[in-house]
Amino acid sequence: MSKPTVNTKAFLGRAKKIASDFWNGKPHEERRLGDLYCDKTGLYKHREWRGVKDTMYYFNNIWLYNYAHMIGDMVKYSGPKGPVVFLKGVWRYRWLGQTYLPVMHWFDRGLEGMRGETLRASAWHYRAMVSETIRQFMRMLDADQKTGGSKELYDKTIAHDETVWGGIFYPWRDRMDDVPLQMIPYFVTCHVNNHVVLNYIDAAQSIGLPGDPCPMCQAEAGIFLQDDVPEYYPIVITSNEACDGSVGTSVLQDWMMNRPLFAMPQPMQFDDPLVQEHCAKEIEECWKFIEEQTGEPFSWDELKKHLERQNKLQEFEWEKWEVAANTDYYPINGVAQALYRIYQSQDGDRDIWHETDARVKKILEKCVEKKINTFPKTRHRMIAWSCAPLYYSHWCTWAYNCWGLNCVINMDSLMFNMTIRTDTYEHTLQDMALYHEWAPMRRMAVGGMHHIFELWEYMEKFHCDMVMMYDQLQCKGMQGVHGLFEDEFRARNIHAIWMPHALPDKRTVSRSEIRGIINDYMTTIMHEEPLDPTLLEFDDSEGW
Amino acid sequence: MKSVLKPLLILFGILSGLYIVLFVVFFFDLDGKALFYGVEPFLKNHYDRMKRKDPLDMEYRTDTEKYEY
Repeated sequence: MSKPTVNTKAFLGRAKKIASDFWNGKPHEERRLGDLYCDKTGLYKHREWRGVKDTMYYFNNIWLYNYAHMIGDMVKYSGPKGPVVFLKGVWRYRWLGQTYLPVMHWFDRGLEGMRGETLRASAWHYRAMVSETIRQFMRMLDADQKTGGSKELYDKTIAHDETVWGGIFYPWRDRMDDVPLQMIPYFVTCHVNNHVVLNYIDAAQSIGLPGDPCPMCQAEAGIFLQDDVPEYYPIVITSNEACDGSVGTSVLQDWMMNRPLFAMPQPMQFDDPLVQEHCAKEIEECWKFIEEQTGEPFSWDELKKHLERQNKLQEFEWEKWEVAANTDYYPINGVAQALYRIYQSQDGDRDIWHETDARVKKILEKCVEKKINTFPKTRHRMIAWSCAPLYYSHWCTWAYNCWGLNCVINMDSLMFNMTIRTDTYEHTLQDMALYHEWAPMRRMAVGGMHHIFELWEYMEKFHCDMVMMYDQLQCKGMQGVHGLFEDEFRARNIHAIWMPHALPDKRTVSRSEIRGIINDYMTTIMHEEPLDPTLLEFDDSEGW
Repeated sequence: MKSVLKPLLILFGILSGLYIVLFVVFFFDLDGKALFYGVEPFLKNHYDRMKRKDPLDMEYRTDTEKYEY
């Protein structure tokens, strides 16, 4: 028998490699994920082949499962009429129609390149957010007087600003429901389809309002100016959403909502005990307002029950942080961590968060027990600080795939770092006041020097060697401390990449420009080579 | 026995065919392409042409009730 020739050996080697790539997926450096994109649109020529097991997991347990549950959840939350109610909503509200449909692409963007347990745990986080989003908008639509919703449900639904914590309404959860005004029409839309919000920003500027305040405030006013808010609530609870621009928005909203409104702004000096006292009193006043307006009495038992359930969510979050901070086995990617946590902690106790945490706990324990290195290409452990660009929250997925930058934790995840005592009414009220004060943006971003500089402490705790420093160009509060951070980064010899953005508005700094800034830092300062060079430059300017 | 097996086989064939079609839709991102080039432009056009109430026509009242406790 003759020996195999060089050509035969090469052929066999190549066949083996093709079979291995098919079965296991390509090694990280050979994936060329950038080649999968269609120019400008961000659509895929074809979705990524992740090996047989992970591709079939993605197809069956993520793509098919979520499409099926997107319809199933409408029925679950609204009964058999759910899909009809939903279609009426799609026809009436831009934020619903244009956002809900491309939701699987939102999964794709956030989960690109993920494998194994990381893919699974991160996808469960996404699934929970979709389910809770459906619950919220189905409640809005079921009670919406513009599209023929139920008057009975309308009377039993309270609206509130998205930064008013859902826990304020726990005492009535057995009889009524509460739905934030902007969480879905504004916040979620920016992540899923970043074109939608531009209509609302432009609407605010079209009546002569200035374009330089935070575009979040502009967009939230624009939704009302476009008459695109469902009429699902007889009363509303507002906050200052922790910025002056948002106070301006509240004035417009109050005008256009034209119904009983109770305001409980988050104070700036929340470390002051007198401010604590004031804030606790305001929560009690809010409860009296709800009782007076709805005729439904406050229930201590209901409040206590939900707070104790919420504490369980926080306890698991601490377990997650422990693994993320001290091991390489944390199976949740940066974008899933950030979005799930801010959504859940602001929303409060809901069944879906408990179901998801139970699933993720199993995956987390498996990773720890089996010592699975979940992000094996990590070159740098990053902490992301300040407010993120909503239109590019998945930058960390890209940064890991392209550069091995592993965003372990972010500021918004760390805001509500507390459980709430339920042993006495006084303790509960004190803790609830603090939780309310620690709202998004107020807790650290515009919460005073001491709190914004908690970065150094968390950097150490999570063993991070780099900072992704978000630079919200239209946030006057954060612009005020830019120079102080520059000085501190230099003094402490910390590698920090400044990421300029305008929160929801992709026209100010595009995704592509953000990637360019990170690329420049990684090549000129860090002198590193990309893991996947096809991801360095591509045009996704028209993408969702 | 044969009469039971046949419809089951047909059902199995249909479900398998559907599964393969769905996989093709998934793999080649045909859902994304249909939504991007078909559904979204249609909906955008609809929303852009929709008649909307002008909220600025509403009277801005400052004499509303104060809720103080």
